[in-house]
Amino acid sequence: MKLSLIFVLGAIGAYAQGLDPTSLLHPTPDSWPTYNGDYSGKRFSSLRQINRSNVGMLTMAWAFQINIATGIGLKSTPLLVNGTLYFTEPDDVWAVDARTGRQNWHYHYRANEGLHIGQRGLGMYKGRLYFETPDAHLLCLDAKSGEVQWDVLLADVKLGYWATMAPLIIGNHVLAGISGDFNDLHGFIDSFDPETGKLQWRWDALPKPGEPGSETWPANSDAIAHGGGMTWITGTYDPDLNLLYWGTANPNPVLVGNTRPGDNLYTCSIVALDPDTGKLVWYFQVSPHDVHDWDAVQTPVLVDAEFKGEPHKLLLQASRNGYYFVLDRTNGKPLLSVPYEEINWSSGVDSRGRPTSNPEKDPSAAGTLVAPDAIGATNWMAPSFNPETGLLYVDSHRCFGLYYDLSEGRPEGFGGTNLYLWSRSALRAIEYQTGKTRWEHDLGPGHNWASVLSTAGGLVFTGDNHGNMLALDAATGETLWHASGGGAVQGAPITYELDGQQYVLIGSNNVLYSWALPEKLIAESGRGATESK
Amino acid sequence: MLPAQFLVVTGIAVHGIYAQDVAAGKRQFAQTCGFCHGPDGRGASGPDLLRSSLVSHDVNGNLIGEVVRNGRPAKGMPAFPLSDAEIKAIADFLHAEAKLAASVTQRNPSEYPLEKLLVGNAEAGKAYFNGAGRCSACHSVIGDLAHIASKYKPFDLQTRIAFPSGADPKVTVTEKSGKQYSGDQVYSDEFLISLRDAQGWVHTWKRSDVKVEVENPLAAHEKLLAAYTDRNIHDLFAYLVTLK
Repeated sequence: MKLSLIFVLGAIGAYAQGLDPTSLLHPTPDSWPTYNGDYSGKRFSSLRQINRSNVGMLTMAWAFQINIATGIGLKSTPLLVNGTLYFTEPDDVWAVDARTGRQNWHYHYRANEGLHIGQRGLGMYKGRLYFETPDAHLLCLDAKSGEVQWDVLLADVKLGYWATMAPLIIGNHVLAGISGDFNDLHGFIDSFDPETGKLQWRWDALPKPGEPGSETWPANSDAIAHGGGMTWITGTYDPDLNLLYWGTANPNPVLVGNTRPGDNLYTCSIVALDPDTGKLVWYFQVSPHDVHDWDAVQTPVLVDAEFKGEPHKLLLQASRNGYYFVLDRTNGKPLLSVPYEEINWSSGVDSRGRPTSNPEKDPSAAGTLVAPDAIGATNWMAPSFNPETGLLYVDSHRCFGLYYDLSEGRPEGFGGTNLYLWSRSALRAIEYQTGKTRWEHDLGPGHNWASVLSTAGGLVFTGDNHGNMLALDAATGETLWHASGGGAVQGAPITYELDGQQYVLIGSNNVLYSWALPEKLIAESGRGATESK
Repeated sequence: MLPAQFLVVTGIAVHGIYAQDVAAGKRQFAQTCGFCHGPDGRGASGPDLLRSSLVSHDVNGNLIGEVVRNGRPAKGMPAFPLSDAEIKAIADFLHAEAKLAASVTQRNPSEYPLEKLLVGNAEAGKAYFNGAGRCSACHSVIGDLAHIASKYKPFDLQTRIAFPSGADPKVTVTEKSGKQYSGDQVYSDEFLISLRDAQGWVHTWKRSDVKVEVENPLAAHEKLLAAYTDRNIHDLFAYLVTLK
């Protein structure tokens, strides 16, 4: 009886409040209200009921099966607000009770021709959810029912755009990025009014001719209008500086650069924007004139910590090109640029902290052996930063590819191809001040696709390339718990605490698993006992 | 930007479409439109049609036909009185060309011409094979590699020189009782090991229960990946491609 009363009150609370956008500034452990859990992109939880000493006793709390024929595997980070989880597949959204795994509602989008390659989650504002569709629409759904409130077009699917990312909510802005590099398009970030769906501003990832940055493109050519720079992974935000940080994707045409001589701004860059106007404040380009498909969309992780003895507002990125970057996020000034994974295409950095590319490692007609391959030293999967260990945990790939320039005449779209030769994955624990690997944990042959979560319980949660869900010791990388979910772990683990019980959620192919300590153990030891490490 | 497995699927789809006979449309296009739009549709004095919104929304010539037949006098494009079949052929060609441009695999590299790959020096390749590359420690050009160039297409031969996939590790598992099993590795992770024995049966153990010895036949090739220069690969290719 007592339990059902709590549920009723919870439901009323959700109905009345939804998610106050100011609560995103200080998320509570009974929520996971935005893609990265908070604005910083750390994916670090202060919860420690599940910790090094007891994680071996984790037991399944519930499992949710996605019963749709079109499932491509869970890649989304669930949101948790007021006891309800919201997660996605390309055409589908579910609302599920976070304590029991019971479905509240399911929304299915219309049949569409967009690329169904992934769906990474939702944004939430008050009682509304924001969902990007494969055919590049942005939908506003009622969080109580899944009913569509409005539907706006982001970009034309017929031109080759698609959409996968989780929108970011800042104040009264719904920020939406875009995907599509098979064709020569241009990337952008759109800001919408959460109530009406009216466009507030658009930031174009490619400057217009004559604007700053346009000098990094050939003059008297339309290359600049079709130069790529997609925005397909959710950015991060510093409320004190009121700056939005976003990684941009590769230039087009892909793998061949002869029709676009120059650095090709603002592709393969980390950009800082004013979220109220969409104006560019600073940028740092991690791969000038990329010809290897190494975008820079990897989460820009925001950390306030010492660097060389001085307190700093830092931005960390382990980038797809194999370099680890530390920037001063107040101005974009590079503090450190060093490889974290084996690479053979660059022998150092220039005076601006940007990797210098060896032109002999560009794709060629006869084939060029390059490390990393086109999937990259990492890819979109979210890393995690643990402020207690000072380590950035990154799904890292040692890999080699043969890159071919196949273009004849004028290249468009993909001008070449990359043949994947060999790869092996590891979770790397990177010291944030040096970029050195403290430990690495082998995740098996191939490219791993699991995101990472770390907790104050001294744990790192992720998945390996065989479908094992893993809990590792955050200090040493030792395996403390594992379970095979029966399918690839391509999504992002999250954690939360409800009614004194901490849950860890990990998606495996079409199943979302919820793990917790046995209730008996928690009852016997009490919260205090399980909280202590 | 994308995972490999997806690109492969996309590539197959694209080649399927392009494999249809679009040659007639290509000729028709080059003849009627190529002067302004380029023989491949990628633009000349007229716009690039592969990036055209109208072309991308066209179905079987329903939008393209209107423009072709009426022209765009304001932009200096004359009208062309083409038949329905000719319009459809042009549309098929443009759609196929656009899909090809958007294909990550592009022209199937397996059919890649030998001349493009033959940039190395066969003598240098031979010296590397018998010397620094230590290839001759495992391989012989009159043994396992005899006639290798007749067995593989040039592109496949080169990629196999770079890294030959497909050889399973050999595994020996010793149980606590002392009983041993040997065979090809079927599965291996941090926790489990599986092998197929000589009779064809698959066995799986927890690694913590047994002693596991693995012999990786590709270990030397994995080391080579980090040691190879592009010159080494191209020289080796130039040498091995002579082994007809």
